[in-house]
Amino acid sequence: MDELTREFLIESQEGLDRMERCLTELEERPGDNELLAEIFRAVHTIKGTTGFLGYARLEKLAHAGENLLGLLRDGKMQAGQAVINGLLSLMDGLRAILRAIETEGQEAAGEDTDLIARLIQLEQSRELLELAETVSAIVAANASVSAKASTVSSFSGAYDYAQTEFPASLSSHPESNVPVGNQMDGEAPGNKDKPRPASTGASSTAESTLRVDITLLNRMMNLVGELVLTRNQILQATSNDANLTVLSRRLDMVTADLRENVMKARMQPVSHAFSKFPRLVRDLSQNLGRKVRLQMEGQETELDKSLLEAIKDPLTHAVRNSLDHGIEPPEIRIAQGKDPEGLLRLRAFQEGSHVMIEVSDDGAGVCVQKVRAKALERGLITKDHAAQMSDRELLQLVFLPGFSTAEQVTKVSGRGVGMDVVRTNVEKIGGKVELDSHAGRGTTLRLRIPLTLAIIPALIVVSRDQSFALPQGALSELVHVSPGQAATSIEWIESAALYRLRGNLLPLIFLDQILGKPALDGPVDHDRYIAVLDAEGRRFGLVVDGLADPEEIVVKPLSSVLKQIGFYSGATVLGSGNIALILDSAALAHKAGISQDSEEEQKKTHLADEVAEEIAAEFLLVETGGRKSAIPLKDVLRIERLPRKQIEYMGTRPVLNFEGNLLPVEDQAGLIDQALDPEMQITVVVCREGNRHVGLAVEHVLDVAAGSDLSEAGTELPAQGVTLLKERVTNVVDLSCVSDLEGIEAGQGWEVSQ
Amino acid sequence: MSAPPRKKSKETVLGSTLEMCSVRVGNTLFGIPITHILEIVGSSPAQPVPLAPDYVGGLVHYRGDVLTTVSMRRLLDLPPVETLPDILVFDGESGYFGLLVDSVCDVLTVDPADFEPNPSILDGRRRQLFAGAYKLKKGLLVMLDPVRLDPMNLAAILTV
Repeated sequence: MDELTREFLIESQEGLDRMERCLTELEERPGDNELLAEIFRAVHTIKGTTGFLGYARLEKLAHAGENLLGLLRDGKMQAGQAVINGLLSLMDGLRAILRAIETEGQEAAGEDTDLIARLIQLEQSRELLELAETVSAIVAANASVSAKASTVSSFSGAYDYAQTEFPASLSSHPESNVPVGNQMDGEAPGNKDKPRPASTGASSTAESTLRVDITLLNRMMNLVGELVLTRNQILQATSNDANLTVLSRRLDMVTADLRENVMKARMQPVSHAFSKFPRLVRDLSQNLGRKVRLQMEGQETELDKSLLEAIKDPLTHAVRNSLDHGIEPPEIRIAQGKDPEGLLRLRAFQEGSHVMIEVSDDGAGVCVQKVRAKALERGLITKDHAAQMSDRELLQLVFLPGFSTAEQVTKVSGRGVGMDVVRTNVEKIGGKVELDSHAGRGTTLRLRIPLTLAIIPALIVVSRDQSFALPQGALSELVHVSPGQAATSIEWIESAALYRLRGNLLPLIFLDQILGKPALDGPVDHDRYIAVLDAEGRRFGLVVDGLADPEEIVVKPLSSVLKQIGFYSGATVLGSGNIALILDSAALAHKAGISQDSEEEQKKTHLADEVAEEIAAEFLLVETGGRKSAIPLKDVLRIERLPRKQIEYMGTRPVLNFEGNLLPVEDQAGLIDQALDPEMQITVVVCREGNRHVGLAVEHVLDVAAGSDLSEAGTELPAQGVTLLKERVTNVVDLSCVSDLEGIEAGQGWEVSQ
Repeated sequence: MSAPPRKKSKETVLGSTLEMCSVRVGNTLFGIPITHILEIVGSSPAQPVPLAPDYVGGLVHYRGDVLTTVSMRRLLDLPPVETLPDILVFDGESGYFGLLVDSVCDVLTVDPADFEPNPSILDGRRRQLFAGAYKLKKGLLVMLDPVRLDPMNLAAILTV
């Protein structure tokens, strides 16, 4: 393909992309002249250039479209639903021809008769409506009209291809062929006008931008990576020489700047991925009988081009899902008291080194019970599991392969591949995906995408003196295991190694073993580390011999022979000049047989962790009478240290004069009774219980820690339950069991009577 | 960095003298048409790849890329040696790849008339790997064909 044609194709594609955007906007603002001019320009440019290049079919179609657009632009017509539909199919028609030219080098044979006829019909239909009223009056009033009409029809006969599809109403009013003449008038000024806007539009962008082949950018990125590496080595080599240090610092700065700019060159605004959604949403909602308003935010957020390409499919899946399963048909929405028009929101924003993309709708939401039932039916979880899972955990099940709650498979979605594909694609590029839904109120799908794929943060781990890179996306925490600990803290069920992490059993994979290294003789006598990884919902610990510093690594592809091994997603050159293989944690988990079942189990515990962390109640850890117990921190008002003598008795009940109020003090361990010296310091934790205050005498206040609730109920004294605190089961003090002052006040009489 | 034109086989250049880069692996002198070689990288270590096929000598860093290398020693089932290998870089079907040899020797000029196909007494694997030999005064120069040594193709050849 010659340069000219290629340029033409690119330019036309861009023009059509603009047209697509404008068309969907036009639907909301039918009279917007700027939008119309923009669309006109796109079609006109195609028509103009094709004539020059000799693509007859393309020219013919573009010409038909241009006529219609000319009328619209000149305000002779209003862009209604039918017109926009017609223009969209015009666009699709143009695209199809362009695609054929791109792949085959020439237009495919055939005619666009139907489409052209439809466009011409549209040109006339508008005037038809108008004329239908006036003309019928004229027909009645003026018999000579019929004579005039016959000339017009013979004139219009030249447009024979248009005749066949004229609406029935047309034949009953032969006079209404008149608009054909009008259309010709309309076209003439259009022809004169158009070269001007087209040329100004083209020149302004041509001056400031330049098209660059993406492979060239990739190559540049590679070379920059190489430069970074060389710089690192030079920095090391010149650190002793003062003169060279200045130079190498400069090299350092320039390199960093260069790298940043090359990366920037690869960035594209998210709008490139979003731009097709107005059309998609429009078509789908018509198809499905929904009314949907699309709201897009943060379109200027930038993302690496390759990542942008990678999320297009997942986003489309998500949008389709929202329209098909999320937003209800208008009747149902009205019945539920919602706005008949549903809202679909696409939102992108940067968060640290990630870009978050949210697809949210205000539709029916996902019914958790249905998810549970379906998961049970498909055998994805067991009954016991289901009973233990929280709603949020159950929701994440929709990401499992083969899951769909749709009652029936529709054209749009429901085959149960959607969400699975979303997760797989997003995780492939190092991202994460999360679902949040409230029945009746809507669903939000969150995609968390790294800013760039080419350079990722990674932890360098060492196994048997060889370095490997572990992408930090999958890494959730690191655990150190000393040689002494190893024997006790790593537990075995036959040949399966497990580590007890905050009460949960974490399956372990030994990196050296899974990589086929022969087992070492004798016990391990060096420090080891467990990297706790989360990959595609599989949670496991990877045991390595050592850790090096985290590094920003430049990902280099591997040859297919090595890709086939499956454990490595690429390789990288470290600052030291050594090559490290990049481990694919999901593949490791898979190969090690972290099965579906235990995957779910791990996922469940993981989610439980997460949820617990989120709502984690914090506790004050205290020691009384040699036993540790926990007091919910939210109830603690203050901690008092005061001499024993300040505590008085009402009857047998110790009380404290606290800010002018009498405070009952619970002294379970008899600390106050045992304190003989009146000056001895007693620690009292003052707590709120309901609308009263109570004091607890304790020996020591140890710590504040986050606890997670345990379902086992404690049977010991005033403990309303137990909590898992610092990996130890701890009693929670039940403040309501502290008898209140009223009883004591009433007891005053009882004291007297004694 | 433009790839030199590739010659699919030696027959196409019969009648003229040819330049061969000679390399030593073990006790054998091998020859590779010099036009196929992109670059020779002297004595550099290759990073081993656990679980990779036997013939993979590891990864080396070459101009910003990470190259997969093929170890001649491993291909020929020779015991490993202490010395660092020399690396010949080729442009393979799916990107560059390296060939690890004990050492690179002189460039030799050979006469196509001295060419002999593989003798039948070679074992199956060697018959697949070698591309005949040239009879030199000092001994034999066993020809290697970079296309066959491409890691992509080796997998197929070695399973035969």
